[in-house]
Amino acid sequence: MRDVAVLGAGMHPWGKFADRSVTAMCRVATEAALADAGVAWRDVEAVAAASSRFSGGKGWGLNGNDVVEEMGSTGIPVYNLSAGCAAGGNAFNIGWLLVASGAHDCVLVVGGEKMPKGFIQTSGLEEDTDPEHLRQLCVGMPGPTFWAALCRRRMKDFGTSEEDLARIAVKAHRIGKHNTNARFRQEFTMEDVLGSAMVSYPLHLYEICPVSDGAAAVVICSADVARKRTTRPVWAASSSVATARFDDGLPRGLGTVVPQAGPTCHSEASLAVGKALESAAVAPTELDLVELQDNTVFYELAFPEDWGLCQPGEAERLVEKGETLPTGKLPINPSGGFLCFGEATTAMGVFQICELTWQLREQAGARQVPGAKIALAQTLGLGGNATAAVLKN
Amino acid sequence: MTTHERIPVMEGLFAETAEGPRLLGSRCQTCSTPYFPRSAVCHNPDCGESRMENADFGPRGRLWSCAIQNYPPPLPARYEEPYIPYAVGVVDLDEGLRVVARMSVDDPDSLELDAEVELTIEPIYRDDEGRDVTTWKFKPLQPGRS
Ligand SMILES: [Zn+2]
Repeated sequence: MRDVAVLGAGMHPWGKFADRSVTAMCRVATEAALADAGVAWRDVEAVAAASSRFSGGKGWGLNGNDVVEEMGSTGIPVYNLSAGCAAGGNAFNIGWLLVASGAHDCVLVVGGEKMPKGFIQTSGLEEDTDPEHLRQLCVGMPGPTFWAALCRRRMKDFGTSEEDLARIAVKAHRIGKHNTNARFRQEFTMEDVLGSAMVSYPLHLYEICPVSDGAAAVVICSADVARKRTTRPVWAASSSVATARFDDGLPRGLGTVVPQAGPTCHSEASLAVGKALESAAVAPTELDLVELQDNTVFYELAFPEDWGLCQPGEAERLVEKGETLPTGKLPINPSGGFLCFGEATTAMGVFQICELTWQLREQAGARQVPGAKIALAQTLGLGGNATAAVLKN
Repeated sequence: MTTHERIPVMEGLFAETAEGPRLLGSRCQTCSTPYFPRSAVCHNPDCGESRMENADFGPRGRLWSCAIQNYPPPLPARYEEPYIPYAVGVVDLDEGLRVVARMSVDDPDSLELDAEVELTIEPIYRDDEGRDVTTWKFKPLQPGRS
């Protein structure tokens, strides 16, 4: 495999943009990434795009084709990747493989999404054979309630308090307010978070991510191309994709097996992160920062432990001591994360690569992780999908 | 008092048997993996040969975790107006099956994790034709009954 560099990163700000199409938002992100890379649209040899569920793509998830038509049809290959909320990470993985394999020297990875209002239906189907549909029809357990159930198990096992959870939302907004691309840029006090509406005990409104519109793009290239354009390239040392194990015990659908060994966890995320760290030859303790999928504050506690970044039951104290701030020992989501951006589902995997790139170039301003050298990104999606990537400077 | 006709929210998922309420699933005779709902084949990647038989699950289990649905859930979930928050649970059945379920409890805040629970079939809403639509729920065992 060849070395892969991230040459350019660009974002359309996150928010609600009623009068702008997802393709127009992807164009803003793409033009910013091309300009940042110093690459012309004509130089892009292939596109790997996240398939949006809610917007554009001709109703078929052909969002990469929309972007190519928008930028000017040059006849290049387009790969549209669908992996639920992991689609952006999946698109990055395919783009990475296209460059690493030698098939292409310069690839655009793009993800954009415009979300409907309010809490979304998890499943896109209304068929009696679809497990997610059955789960909502027969039980009625939408995402936030599922997260609350996972969180309550943690409270029982580790004594996690409501204050431990609220502290994570406060931390997110303390950093995210500095990010001009973020949608929610105000600071919250503990009282604000604990006083926000109870969505599902123990999770308050400010402790779960809302939905947003957004788009992000990166230009990735071979080492030869990178060295011609920059003296300080950011390297995508690894990129991985995984799906869930049969026996991880996570209550998907209506039923699963009680796990015989090990804790209940998102095995897909653990597997993807494990593979990404291994192929980048990076130990969990060597990471300078992590962008992880914080649909809820609960994941900022569970994931670092699942992945060996800290000990089981240690995460609450790291947050309390400020170690997950950009200036701490284990900075998590210096972008402000999903809590400050809101989830533009299929764009989030590319959004994370943008943030890692800016951090590793020391362009992150007030949210900069000092001396960041090795960074991890991770996404999670319906269907037991997960992705991870390790970037280095 | 009028009694209303009861219909299951979905056919083939649960039943009142001579022994009481049961979930209708399957089990692989080769690797013993339990499935709910019924599965035509075994999905265990380590199983040598899929040999499925119908199996009933329940009624006893342990509450692995639970949560309260504080806001009216989006479709396809249905509920009675005005909306009253309900509890959902993740229950580990004695047969090695982990299932999601509604909880049958007067005070959702009173649920304790790791509590012994028992399967029951109860209405969740009344449909347009006046029928009580039922689903499977778990209720905490009364002290002294376990
Ligand atoms: Zn089997």
